[in-house]
Amino acid sequence: MSTATLPKTGMPNWASLGIIFGLVGTASIVLFGPIGVSGTYPRLIGEAARVLDPAYAASNPYLVRMGGLLRPETFLVIGLVIGGFLGATRDTVRAAKIELPHVGASSNARRYTEAFLAGFLILFGARLAGGCTSGLIISGMQQLSIAGFVFAGGVFATGIGTAKFMQAIRVGGK
Amino acid sequence: MANFYGLLVGIAMGFLIQRVRASSPVVILQNLRLENLGIIKFMATTIAVGMIAVYTLNVFVPQALHFDIKPTYLVGVLLGGLIFGVGFGLGGYCPGTCMVGIGEGRKDAWFAMGGGVVGALVFTLVYTAAIKPIVELMDYGKITVQDLVHLPAIVPALVIGTMFLVVVKVLPTQVKRA
Repeated sequence: MSTATLPKTGMPNWASLGIIFGLVGTASIVLFGPIGVSGTYPRLIGEAARVLDPAYAASNPYLVRMGGLLRPETFLVIGLVIGGFLGATRDTVRAAKIELPHVGASSNARRYTEAFLAGFLILFGARLAGGCTSGLIISGMQQLSIAGFVFAGGVFATGIGTAKFMQAIRVGGK
Repeated sequence: MANFYGLLVGIAMGFLIQRVRASSPVVILQNLRLENLGIIKFMATTIAVGMIAVYTLNVFVPQALHFDIKPTYLVGVLLGGLIFGVGFGLGGYCPGTCMVGIGEGRKDAWFAMGGGVVGALVFTLVYTAAIKPIVELMDYGKITVQDLVHLPAIVPALVIGTMFLVVVKVLPTQVKRA
């Protein structure tokens, strides 16, 4: 399924890329701070609110605490898009415009609805917890933060449960 | 300069996430159905290497590190994780991988990002009324494993990091389907 990308080390992709990612996360802590993505979303809301309704923006304690977009994490998120684009140029086959990740019957319209709803839930959950896969699971656990371990436990409990549930309802009985 | 470093780190992350296929919802769902563990093993390897590397550096050049430990407000962190997991299992994206997916040209990634913006908006609107009381429950502050075990951080970093690496080495990547 996944093809080798880096010079053959005899190591599977997950291991070689995982080691490099771990070193990138460490470099980030040396250069400016731990990696994190989900905080950029409410900062975007904050910037919009400061233009559209400055009084509300100044009165919302969460928007005030999250601050503005001019910070390394915002550029990191822009970098993710560029990195994804660059990674894809090394594929002989372009990524599918849309993937139907659940087994069994589905449709593009259903997939878009699910992706939107899923996006809502991951951001709401991440902001409640104070971070997402990058800020709590990867850089949180890397720094041995208890919050990272607790969050990861919650994510995989319902993540695995939801994935199995989607399979069960679509394939019918399991 | 920090902003430029952020951009470089983001490009590296995006590239690696794309190459390991973590931006593919199909691959994420295979992992969450426990049919293929490649991404879970990738994440565990990343965490293990990262914790050993950062706490080894901390022994020699502690002043060079910008640690930022997130607070453990137990109820909110766990509840947030449980909600996040439902979205992760439903859509196969996380807040970062959908940005990588957009870079790759995935159309469904735009919907995930759009849902995320709306989710962040609703979160902001209900923050004072509904969220603040939750995040103030059982707030233990910025606690870490080393605080709990009362040992220098390098000790739990080496123990947990090694455990993770042994587990990913032992676990199969492609799990046989029953």
